[in-house]
Amino acid sequence: MIVKRRQMDATIPAMAMGDIAFLLLIFFVILARARDDSHLQWKPASGQELSRPQTMNASVVIDKYNVTYLNGREIPTVILGEALKKLLGENPAGRRTVMFKVHHEVTAVYFEPVIEAISEAGGELHHILKEEKKTR
Amino acid sequence: MNLKRTKLLVEPPATATSDIAFILIVFFLVCASVEPDKGRAQVLPRSEPEKEKDKQSQTIEVDLTRTAVILNGKFPPLTAEQFARAIALKLADKTRDEDRIVAVKSRKEVPYSHWMQVTGIIEDAGGVITLQIEEEQTVKVQ
Repeated sequence: MIVKRRQMDATIPAMAMGDIAFLLLIFFVILARARDDSHLQWKPASGQELSRPQTMNASVVIDKYNVTYLNGREIPTVILGEALKKLLGENPAGRRTVMFKVHHEVTAVYFEPVIEAISEAGGELHHILKEEKKTR
Repeated sequence: MNLKRTKLLVEPPATATSDIAFILIVFFLVCASVEPDKGRAQVLPRSEPEKEKDKQSQTIEVDLTRTAVILNGKFPPLTAEQFARAIALKLADKTRDEDRIVAVKSRKEVPYSHWMQVTGIIEDAGGVITLQIEEEQTVKVQ
């Protein structure tokens, strides 16, 4: 008796491609968000004649809950200086820019020690602000 | 005469869904990445010991309260506009960098927005900002 082989369907299910691409992208988006500080909640203070920093070597955020973050990760203020020193290493001047993002309502008791730590670590402060239109 | 109808495509083209998903995600990513990245650079000298500070007897002192500014301990406190005029006058005749140092002391409740406004005024007037931060010390009483 001759048994006929079944012909296998070799086509790739194109319908699933969209789902696969979508899931892969979601995965990379989540991975990327874990590194940066875009998930933190803060509203910038206003300022005039603002400029973009030439380089960005570190980012320090104080969010609306008065919590300090270094490159998106929570850090106690007492060890911030040391962590920044390690991060900035022996970078020459001009390559030690620290983006400083502070919620506009945070009080001096929280942001001044952070500024001091950045200054002690040799960081070049760049306050991130919201452009305020000049009133005549 | 009978005309045959051409068969219409009923199924959506499945191979395009991946492209659509990709373009949608790129669109949302671009929208999400609009974060403020402009600001103001600020140069702060490193903290120095008290002995060295004593040499600078002519340092201008600025005390920040929640909404006002006290210049060289003189009352009444000034508004931002009054302070801008006063600090510009004080710094106008100073030529050396060490004479342009302005020591900023903030009360605990001073918000960042007010601090930025005042320090901005000082820098615009040509002042060099130093921070006066009170250090916490634990004293044992026997």
